[in-house]
Amino acid sequence: MEKMKLKLLYSDLKPELEMIEKELEQAVDSKSLLLNDASLHLLQAGGKRIRPVFVLLAGKFGNYNVDVMKQVAVPLELIHMASLVHDDVIDDSEIRRGQPTVKAQWNNSVAMYTGDFILARALEHITEIESPRVHEILSKTLIEVCRGEIIQIQDKYRLDQNLRDYFRRIKRKTALLISSSCELGALVSGTDEKTAAHLRRFGYFIGMSFQIIDDILDFTSTDEELGKPAGSDFIQGNITLPILCARKDPELYAMLKANLNKDLSNEERFKVVEAIRNSSGIEEAKAMSERYLQKALRELSFLPKGQGVKTMRKIAFFIGKRKF
Amino acid sequence: MKGHQIQSKIISMEIEVLNAVRQRTLDQFTEGPSVKESRLFFLLLPFFSGKTWSPDIEASAKTVSIVYAALHAHDQVKEDAPIIKEQQLTVLAGDLYSGIYYQMLVNSNNIAMVQRLASAIIKVSESKTSFFEEEFRTVEEMEQAITVIETELLMSFYTFYGYTEYEMLAKQALLYIRYAEELNRLQANNYSHFLRELNTSLVHENYTKYWLTEKLDSLHEQILASIADCALDYELTQFLLHQITPHQHRAEQLTREG
Repeated sequence: MEKMKLKLLYSDLKPELEMIEKELEQAVDSKSLLLNDASLHLLQAGGKRIRPVFVLLAGKFGNYNVDVMKQVAVPLELIHMASLVHDDVIDDSEIRRGQPTVKAQWNNSVAMYTGDFILARALEHITEIESPRVHEILSKTLIEVCRGEIIQIQDKYRLDQNLRDYFRRIKRKTALLISSSCELGALVSGTDEKTAAHLRRFGYFIGMSFQIIDDILDFTSTDEELGKPAGSDFIQGNITLPILCARKDPELYAMLKANLNKDLSNEERFKVVEAIRNSSGIEEAKAMSERYLQKALRELSFLPKGQGVKTMRKIAFFIGKRKF
Repeated sequence: MKGHQIQSKIISMEIEVLNAVRQRTLDQFTEGPSVKESRLFFLLLPFFSGKTWSPDIEASAKTVSIVYAALHAHDQVKEDAPIIKEQQLTVLAGDLYSGIYYQMLVNSNNIAMVQRLASAIIKVSESKTSFFEEEFRTVEEMEQAITVIETELLMSFYTFYGYTEYEMLAKQALLYIRYAEELNRLQANNYSHFLRELNTSLVHENYTKYWLTEKLDSLHEQILASIADCALDYELTQFLLHQITPHQHRAEQLTREG
């Protein structure tokens, strides 16, 4: 339902997004039946396609040509997909978006090669664009996203980490790719540098807000809504903002510490999830997300008024209020 | 070029790769970037033979080595290993190396090479995955897949810079090395996906052993012929035959042993 609401928000882009969906399917087409199946399995599990949407919307501020925009939108979504399939190996995840992950459906090796294949397809596509600036931004983003994930592993189970560690991590893990989606969309449509910079910052702030909400939903949603067990972040040792805000309660801190890095039964997991839900951590994290959202909206205020800004604003509000 | 100079150049390339991808956490928890000596030897073969070798080509060879390291890291991800830090970081090491090779080629304004390498990685991934497919495949199809896995990246490099005269020799030598490794695995009962599938096709382990040893003998002959075709000098030939593809004449030995 939530995903449908989101899609309604960018209904203006429906024809372009349908075209991108087809392009994505073609992009993962392989002469290997197994790679084909694994990639389509991932693609058809759905997703918000938030990165292509931001590429397209950013393009509205320049000379919008869908054939050019899709050359960026498709690879960015492919890069995101490739990282998801590898993330599921890293996290040993069995379920994503309510579907078995590639590693669960096949095995780790197939998941690794599927990720490599999809990333290579993304690079094959993006190299159709000659602009060195586009490649500078994208290659830097790819590296930073990986560094963010490495830091995430370093920081696992560290209940005493500080807020800066968390923000540094989500910046690299999520915000940069969304920020780059906006900036690249702006660049290939030939907007001026000032507009591109506002769009880049908008993408960054919205990406930060998006990830914080994601981390909140991991505690506040049900298993069914999430398509995976609630509290997965905690189980996997990822110390997210709701936990960092909640830990100042000494009792809760002791409970979290006692349950961290343990093989939790469902009952124990629910207890942890419930404790976080009932703590101040959720509201404090929401306030933090709201602050980023306001910063994102402020960036929009510098852009020329029009449909692009309207849709971006609606998406920003949706992200702030989404349920899962 | 003397043998020790060849060795020294290979080591220096290894160090350059290491420096290019260095990351503190990865250094601590993973085996680090690994590229087989044989692959580096063939990447550098045009340089060893005195062909045109600009700094751009050298940089490009380094990026191919990094792609090798990226794909190798992902080959190391185990099926049943518990989710330990080492395994998680090995996945990310491969991804990071991929980002680094892309950035390095972008910095040297060589987008065309990014495209070539991406296409080669696609073929390699398809061939690697083929060993997990349930469909029956002929031995020839398996050989084809192994050839792509072992040589596609190098062939992209050779084609891109016009070093096609070394293609045949490199293909034969890299296949030789792969089959020699597979034979060692067979003898140690350490089966790869390829060996399992080959065994199924050839029905009995002894036939697999014979098939591999015959392949090695035949490839050795072909390597000798290709060395002559490429007109490699004495030192380079000696280095190749003794350091890269030392031959044991195993088929003859097997026949003698009955």
